[in-house]
Amino acid sequence: MTGREVVNLIQKNVGVPWNERSYRDTFKLGNPDSTVKGIATTVMTTFDMLKRAHGAGLNMVISHEDTFWNDRDDTKDLTANPLYKLKTEYVLKNDMMVWRIHDHMHAMKPDFTVVASLRSVGVKGGESAVMAPRIYTIPETTLGEFAAQVKRGTGSRAFRCVGDPKARVSKILLGPGYATPRMTAEADVVIGGEQQEADGGFDDVEYVLDATSLGMPKGLIMLGHVISEQPGMQDLANWMRTFIHDIPIQFVPAEEPFW
Amino acid sequence: MLSHVAKISRRRFALLAGTAGVVPLPAAGAEPLTAEAAVRRIQNELGGDWPAAGPDGFKAGDPTTVVKGIVTTAMASLDVLKQAVRANANLVITYEPTFYGRADGRAPAVPAGGRGPGGFGADDPVVKAKREFIEKNGLAIFRLRDHWQARKENDMVSGLAGALGWSNRRVKSDDAFYDIPAASAEETVTLIRSKLGLRGGLRAVGDKNATVRRVLLHPGSMTPATMWQRYSEVDMIIAGEVREWENTHYAADIFTAGEKRVLVTIGRVVSEEPGMRACAEWLKTVLKEVPSTWIGAGDPYWRPTT
Repeated sequence: MTGREVVNLIQKNVGVPWNERSYRDTFKLGNPDSTVKGIATTVMTTFDMLKRAHGAGLNMVISHEDTFWNDRDDTKDLTANPLYKLKTEYVLKNDMMVWRIHDHMHAMKPDFTVVASLRSVGVKGGESAVMAPRIYTIPETTLGEFAAQVKRGTGSRAFRCVGDPKARVSKILLGPGYATPRMTAEADVVIGGEQQEADGGFDDVEYVLDATSLGMPKGLIMLGHVISEQPGMQDLANWMRTFIHDIPIQFVPAEEPFW
Repeated sequence: MLSHVAKISRRRFALLAGTAGVVPLPAAGAEPLTAEAAVRRIQNELGGDWPAAGPDGFKAGDPTTVVKGIVTTAMASLDVLKQAVRANANLVITYEPTFYGRADGRAPAVPAGGRGPGGFGADDPVVKAKREFIEKNGLAIFRLRDHWQARKENDMVSGLAGALGWSNRRVKSDDAFYDIPAASAEETVTLIRSKLGLRGGLRAVGDKNATVRRVLLHPGSMTPATMWQRYSEVDMIIAGEVREWENTHYAADIFTAGEKRVLVTIGRVVSEEPGMRACAEWLKTVLKEVPSTWIGAGDPYWRPTT
């Protein structure tokens, strides 16, 4: 089976009309007509992840995020960049290929990134969650205790919290990656991957600081992009195994980048 | 002072002219300084165009308020406003929005793809409470971002360098490189945390053991293009914030490629605080008749310990 044939199978099974105009969900590197020896799913095509995929004999990488450090994977300003050359040559030399699935994952029902992120932070009932955020109710606890549960569940070293650790919370609103939801009157805690800290569409950090100053029990948990969407790529691998049987499919995590 | 005089009203000019050669004091009979007059003085001093659609401008309060004192801040959070009131200041100059987004309480909610409506509406309880606090305490809030960072002295960079103790380490006056005393990346990060009083907001990517000598300071947000151009020129970038799937990803790959560099993000607002502290110092030279002080919004982030 070739990379292109793998993609055709995904398109047939994805359950939503394929948007040919998505600039994200395309081949980024390598020869789509090469034979696939194994598939690695990952949240981000980091150089480190590519090396581990190659080490495991997997030559097709299916990544949720970009390869060339910008959302559009625009390479026109990178042709003379030594890191670009190194990464590109590594992929080509090893007959690897990279294909991105982002927009269609967020259109899928369920959206695996949301389902798995909810599971990883210990919020129950999100098995059929979609991209549009909704509130999940957890047994009432404090923001500090909930954050500790998130740390255990995700294994993250570097996620950041805003709000009073003693605030009593039970209503959780979660979005994946950069789609950190806007805090609402109904929600106690917003969980996301990342968000521009100020001067964005909606600045949750300042909002939660001010709500806290007013004595309202509100919290924000920024998991980091990798920690937020990574678990969904394990679910994607499991899903792909239901219609691709002859090729090994493995989830190869990208490391949380922060120390 | 002539440049101000040329642009103020004829009446005010007459008042000033009558005291030529005398240090202007808020003497009996002198026209009180309103928030809009203070802002006009700032605008004249900084120059440039001030389009109504730009981010800089009054965001809340009455511009005809008589100014008792000025507070500058990177972000006019409610805690900062409370401290301003306690300090008897009523004109707040903020670098970032007051009402939780670019629209800054002005525009109607704008849908943002897949993320629910943008901004926070006028009926939102936090927006309401903040507006009530501003009104009750007679505050006026003015956003000063574009024109402050466009100032040729760019105190956003030199202010941050000063807060880190590196003022005399600048390599060239027209660039943001600093050659600092050599130390490991880990030691440098510890120094940054302590100098800026950080809690959980600092995150570092790259080689902990890299020897750091040359640093690039970049308050605010850093674009991928800037990162690609400049990262290999320095041992460490200290930025406010970046997008993780872009710049952080790049720094992680540079680490895998074996280069000994570190990307440190300290938080957007934290990175902008020293520049607004410098703004308060500058205001003391422009608006001598009222006190100007800086109030820090602080590092908003914490991390669970268990």
